[in-house]
Amino acid sequence: MEGEQLNGIQLNEFLIGYLKKRGFNSAAKGLEEDLHHNKGSDNNVSSFTSIDYHNDPELTKLIRSFSQSEDDPTRYRECYSKLRSWAYNSLDLYKHELLRVMYPVFIHCYMDLVGKGHTQEARVFFNSFRKDHEMIHLRDLQKLEGVLAPSHLEEMEFARSLRKSKVNIKICQYSYDLLLQYLHRTESTLMLGIINEHINFQVYSGQPTSASDDIEAVTIVGSFQDTANHINQKEIQWGLLEDSLEDRLEKTGGLLSDFEKGQGESKDGDADDSKKRSTEIGKQGSSIKKLKKDKAGNATAKVARLETSTVPPAPRVKSELALPVMSTDVEQSILEDLRNRVQLSSVAMPSVSFYTFVNSHNGLNCASISHDGSLVSGGFSDSSIKIWDMAKIGQAGALQGEDDTNDPNVGPTGRRSYTLLLGHSGPVYSANFSPPGDFVLSSSADTTIRLWSTKLNSNLVCYKGHNYPVWDVQFSPFGHYFASCSHDRTARIWTMDQIQPLRIMAGHLSDVDCVQWHPNCNYIATGSSDKTVRLWDVQTGECVRIFIGHRSMVLSLAMSPDGRYMASGDEDGTIMMWDLSTARCITPLMGHNSCVWSLSYSGEGSLLASGSADCTVKLWDVTSSTKLTKAEEKNGNSNRLRSLRTFPTKSTPVQALRFSRRNLLFAAGAISKPAS
Amino acid sequence: MSIVPKETIEVIAQSIGITNLLPEAALMLAPDVEYRVREIMQEAIKCMRHSKRTTLTASDVDGALNLRNVEPIYGFASGGPFRFRKAIGHRDLFYTDDREVDFKDVIEAPLPKAPLDTEIVCHWLAIEGVQPAIPENAPLEVIRAPAENKIHEQKDGPLIDIRLPVKHVLSRELQLYFQKIAELTMSKSNPALFKEALVSLASDSGLHPLVPYFTNFIADEVSRGLNDFLLLFNLMHIVRSLLRNPHIHIEPYLHQLMPSVVTCLVSRKLGNRFADNHWELRDFTANLVALICKRYGTVYTTLQSRLTKTLVNALLDPKKALTQHYGAIQGLAALGHNVVRLLILSNLEPYLRLLEPELVAEKQKNQMKSYEAWRVYGALLRAAGLCIHDRLKIFPPLPSPLPSFIHKGKGKIIKTEPHKRKLSVDSSENRSPQKRLITTDGLQSQDHTSPAPMQVDNPIENDNPPQNSVHPSSSEQASDASESESRKTKGKEAGKGRAITMKAILKQIWKDDLDSGRLLVKLHELYGERILPFIPSTEMSVFL
Repeated sequence: MEGEQLNGIQLNEFLIGYLKKRGFNSAAKGLEEDLHHNKGSDNNVSSFTSIDYHNDPELTKLIRSFSQSEDDPTRYRECYSKLRSWAYNSLDLYKHELLRVMYPVFIHCYMDLVGKGHTQEARVFFNSFRKDHEMIHLRDLQKLEGVLAPSHLEEMEFARSLRKSKVNIKICQYSYDLLLQYLHRTESTLMLGIINEHINFQVYSGQPTSASDDIEAVTIVGSFQDTANHINQKEIQWGLLEDSLEDRLEKTGGLLSDFEKGQGESKDGDADDSKKRSTEIGKQGSSIKKLKKDKAGNATAKVARLETSTVPPAPRVKSELALPVMSTDVEQSILEDLRNRVQLSSVAMPSVSFYTFVNSHNGLNCASISHDGSLVSGGFSDSSIKIWDMAKIGQAGALQGEDDTNDPNVGPTGRRSYTLLLGHSGPVYSANFSPPGDFVLSSSADTTIRLWSTKLNSNLVCYKGHNYPVWDVQFSPFGHYFASCSHDRTARIWTMDQIQPLRIMAGHLSDVDCVQWHPNCNYIATGSSDKTVRLWDVQTGECVRIFIGHRSMVLSLAMSPDGRYMASGDEDGTIMMWDLSTARCITPLMGHNSCVWSLSYSGEGSLLASGSADCTVKLWDVTSSTKLTKAEEKNGNSNRLRSLRTFPTKSTPVQALRFSRRNLLFAAGAISKPAS
Repeated sequence: MSIVPKETIEVIAQSIGITNLLPEAALMLAPDVEYRVREIMQEAIKCMRHSKRTTLTASDVDGALNLRNVEPIYGFASGGPFRFRKAIGHRDLFYTDDREVDFKDVIEAPLPKAPLDTEIVCHWLAIEGVQPAIPENAPLEVIRAPAENKIHEQKDGPLIDIRLPVKHVLSRELQLYFQKIAELTMSKSNPALFKEALVSLASDSGLHPLVPYFTNFIADEVSRGLNDFLLLFNLMHIVRSLLRNPHIHIEPYLHQLMPSVVTCLVSRKLGNRFADNHWELRDFTANLVALICKRYGTVYTTLQSRLTKTLVNALLDPKKALTQHYGAIQGLAALGHNVVRLLILSNLEPYLRLLEPELVAEKQKNQMKSYEAWRVYGALLRAAGLCIHDRLKIFPPLPSPLPSFIHKGKGKIIKTEPHKRKLSVDSSENRSPQKRLITTDGLQSQDHTSPAPMQVDNPIENDNPPQNSVHPSSSEQASDASESESRKTKGKEAGKGRAITMKAILKQIWKDDLDSGRLLVKLHELYGERILPFIPSTEMSVFL
């Protein structure tokens, strides 16, 4: 054999050279030290490792092939296409598992080529196999396509993170063996190298899983995934605030009959769930204990109370923020609303009132509806904000011309139907009402957030803090506090009375596109262009959950009223339901085929409404999809479409949605000319 | 390499004053330029998403440049999509059409209309989960079967995954009905039963859910069965029955139905056997088309214009077969005299010139062709004649000079039908001597071949007064008539204010009358005496 003619020293040099080239400096050093040590002690007696590679002809061949073909760019293409055709021709049972391997190999081949400066070959390689992966990874491919020089690899965060991290692939034992056999038989060391370097196989015994695309099957790991896993271990208290208005309402018994009905249903539905819940409550209670030692006695008492009571809907937590005091009349009106709430379910559908913006000349950037649906705001690309009082417009027919004299809305050109708020100096990206509807917050490309009073129709405060366009701003469920997020990759927490942010949440790897408060005000969730959703603790400013699973930019978020679940919608039209405590996706809701601009839970959390650029409002049965997970866990069933209704609009993309407290659904959007 | 070619880099370099850029440098720069452009586009897409849009505009790109602290590119308003034009002589060189605007023009131009102000319109998208059928909402699928849907869902539990794009639930009975009708149409063996079926189609209520299936069926079968004359005829009968059914709401499906119907009107070949009387089918379909236009023309304002456009195109294309021309003429004629006047009569002269060689036997040896030409000629004559007849009819009756004339005229108003039928019988069954007569004698003999139906007195034929003198006299008479009419009405109404409107009406009538007078003359020039049977006797007296 040739290998035997290679003497040991030469081989060692090769090996060290190779290791150094690949960046395994410590390994190379170790090997060198090892060799020195060997030489020093006894030259004739080789160490165990050296015997191994001296006598293994396979390995020598391998090493030789490395030394030969390191710089041959065409080899990538050859090897990859061989591997590809092999994978496509493999047995159907294992095919989908083997095909999963192809994407990481593909992108790393491409980046290797780019990294070595073979731009031409890289392009050819990329274009010839791009089609295979477009289905699932289109967005990533579009990003990577532009990488053409080694410097771009360094510069582009996405590429860098890919290079650094490993991909986790679940694969069954047999598929894994097949793959290894293939790689060894064909001596495609190049592929083997890439696979070893960038893929982390999680081999499991038994039959391969069904071909449906299991989200968990392929995950990007490395430092990022580790931190995500680590972060997701943290404890969170998703329960509602104690002594909330809903609680008080229950106590007064205003909703008693309905409530009992609801409870009866839930008892039937998830009887086996009650145990799990109570243990969870126990955990929650204990965490409260830990955190608030001074109130330990109180907490235990509460836990005891909770456990004895019959299936409480959700655990209660204390607010970590000092919350504003609600005036009694506001409280009364909310209680009144809650008492009059229509109970919604998969058989009792809500009514949808639609506000259509006409003559917006393509300038409407955002729309928002106040909690009672009476006020509608629009943020425009010409920096203006316009607020319509729908209650007044309704009366306008009857009272026309009555109060023209002292109406500030009368412009020189005649009567305007809205209040015009001017102050921003860039496109307005969000305008959000405070819960009672007395304030409006707006964020703009001019990097500022402004607070407006709907009573005075004027600007009150300008909050400067972000360095780049502020994409979204949201009042907390109790007002006073608000959260903003920006192109500068941070989310910030503010109070109305200070012009400096209270907290800065940094951690997202790209723009933070949307923000949403948790109903108990202790957390905010942010959705980002890095395709993740994060949950942040408002008090500490720490990231407490990372939700990975979206395949494109996250555009909208909604929290279930019980604080347990979160829904997020992305650019592709996928909506994901997350369980906050486990940070796992319960079920993706597929159905929209364009951006999901807006999501909203109904008052009691049984329905989720989604509004999309495909000009539809969809209603999803959320209770059944959460229930289904248990069934799914049992029989591995992955049917998860729970769309109840689709309401198409004529040609109006749905930009905003809100369930009022009485469970009337409001939607808004600007009519667009149908595509010609 | 990069999608930005080296040459582009060189051009850019030159445009900013670097003339000595090395080709290697350009090559090195190209990938970076591409990367930067992609980077900017990525940011621009973010801006687009946050503006809640799905189309990228120039302002998004400006926003992206802003994010990168780059000065935006001025001068590109996001008013509309850019029109790129190809540079002549270069395959892949494009430029935007950026015309120089004269400053003076801009200043002197009137102010543009102020854009309408933004407003909000409120409506119910759904009421308790059901979308109300109001104009603000998107049109719904015609029939929904929510009850059955629900049953379906409950049965399958949570397993329903795939939803058909449109769920249309059809009861078993309706399915059977549809199958039966389809069978009858296809089999053509039981005309009596088919007739019954047509009656049922035209009268039964509750057939509405089947309409999409029928339209589909008709469209499919027409496109497949152009050789099957009977099938086509049956299908057209179905269409007519569906149109007649008062319980059916056929408008949403008209766009699907019209192509098939028009095909049966103007297709080159309908049926494959010689004995197939496709003329009859065309006539039938023409009436069908007219019916559709009459009924739905108001709802679909574009319906008639599109239809006439198709037909006129078929008519004026000399490459199209004569059968197609025939269909087009019949279709247009059925749409009323206004259509005929505007679209056929205006093209009549050149068309007849084209048709003439076909009519003359010496030039056209193919008897089939010649026969077809005569059919077309007949159709044209009929269309023109009916048109002139209708036009003359709308004028107030003239004080008739001779009662005997009227008497005579009544008998000869429209007599083309028997004449035509006779022709077709003659020619399609056997080459009759009469037919030969036509072909040999050409124009002149036409009158003699069918003297009975024409019933035109010979004396009238013989002494035609000069056309020019006819025209003023007729119009004068007509105006007299209208004046007398107006006097009458004036007397009745005795309203002072009416006088002005009456005057306007008078003017209009005068003008119309002039037109029709001219028309008459023109038609007479073109057709000779053959037009005369269409002209009511009173007018005839004036005409002569």
